[in-house]
Amino acid sequence: MERSVVRKGKGGKLVKVTVVSEGGRIAAVSITGDFFAHPEEGLEQVERELIGAAISEVRGTVESATGGVTLVGLKSEDIIEMVEECLE
Amino acid sequence: MDRLRVISYTVRDAAENMALDEAIAVAVGAGRSPPTLRLYGWDPPAVSIGYFQEVEAEVDLDFCEAEGISVVRRLTGGGAVLHASGELTYSFAVSDMDPAVPQDIQGSYMRICSPIVSALRDLGAPACFKPINDIEVSGRKVSGNAQTRRFGAVLQHGTLLLDIDAGLLGALRANSVKLSERGITAHAQRVTTLSRELGRRVTRGELSWAVKRRFKENFGCKLDAGQPTGEELCRAQALADRYRSVEWLFRR
Repeated sequence: MERSVVRKGKGGKLVKVTVVSEGGRIAAVSITGDFFAHPEEGLEQVERELIGAAISEVRGTVESATGGVTLVGLKSEDIIEMVEECLE
Repeated sequence: MDRLRVISYTVRDAAENMALDEAIAVAVGAGRSPPTLRLYGWDPPAVSIGYFQEVEAEVDLDFCEAEGISVVRRLTGGGAVLHASGELTYSFAVSDMDPAVPQDIQGSYMRICSPIVSALRDLGAPACFKPINDIEVSGRKVSGNAQTRRFGAVLQHGTLLLDIDAGLLGALRANSVKLSERGITAHAQRVTTLSRELGRRVTRGELSWAVKRRFKENFGCKLDAGQPTGEELCRAQALADRYRSVEWLFRR
């Protein structure tokens, strides 16, 4: 199952989260938009770590994976809520 | 930052421009090149998209193909930009240890945009920095800027709009959510150009001159007219292949 959620983040940045799930677990996730993340690879690491997660594990996974990433125009809370919404 | 190398306006294709910005950032970050301001243009015209953008959501690829517009993914985040003839692009690279640029991202955008805001005011446009990364005149965007921190460097590049080539605007897809939340319907209503704001034709030469002068004054540094080094050009040539690759363009 594939679902996408679009949201306007801080400073007018647009964020789209797409989640492919199988049996309630994330098989693939992409976070796209005109926001910034430093280092950029940090956001790609968040996407990788979310693979296999169930909805109850999304918050903890995102919080720990974004620890060393500076997000601009996007908050980790946005990612958590949008990924959870895709899984609901 | 006592001295700033200034590489005067040159025109390259999209992949070469992005590759040269990256190669300069690598050399600057490693301390092998001085802090650098580069002014440039794009031929053929191009759309650049942000590092995290989904290419097919932002760009009408069929339109670009038909009109001969290149499409390139940047190393920096941010939004899609049309680079046509009525546009001046700059890039600025400095060591990430240089006290001239604040460590915090928002502060550093403001710092690096401030000479550009001053240059626009010199020309008579009441420009303001608009967080996170825009410069506006009369509430409309005239400049978008994007930054990355890699290789021990801060690289910021951005666009300054002199004129809009309305015939090429079909390259960018209007994003329905963003537009509706701002209550506006067309690109022309949220973007402006220097020529429109000043009611006269603003040349690339006068804008370039004002930008260079304000970087010098604002950072209190000397300007050295320069060119890319052999190392930078050689690395750029290799990097251009990545920027041209289908994998890089479609990675999101």
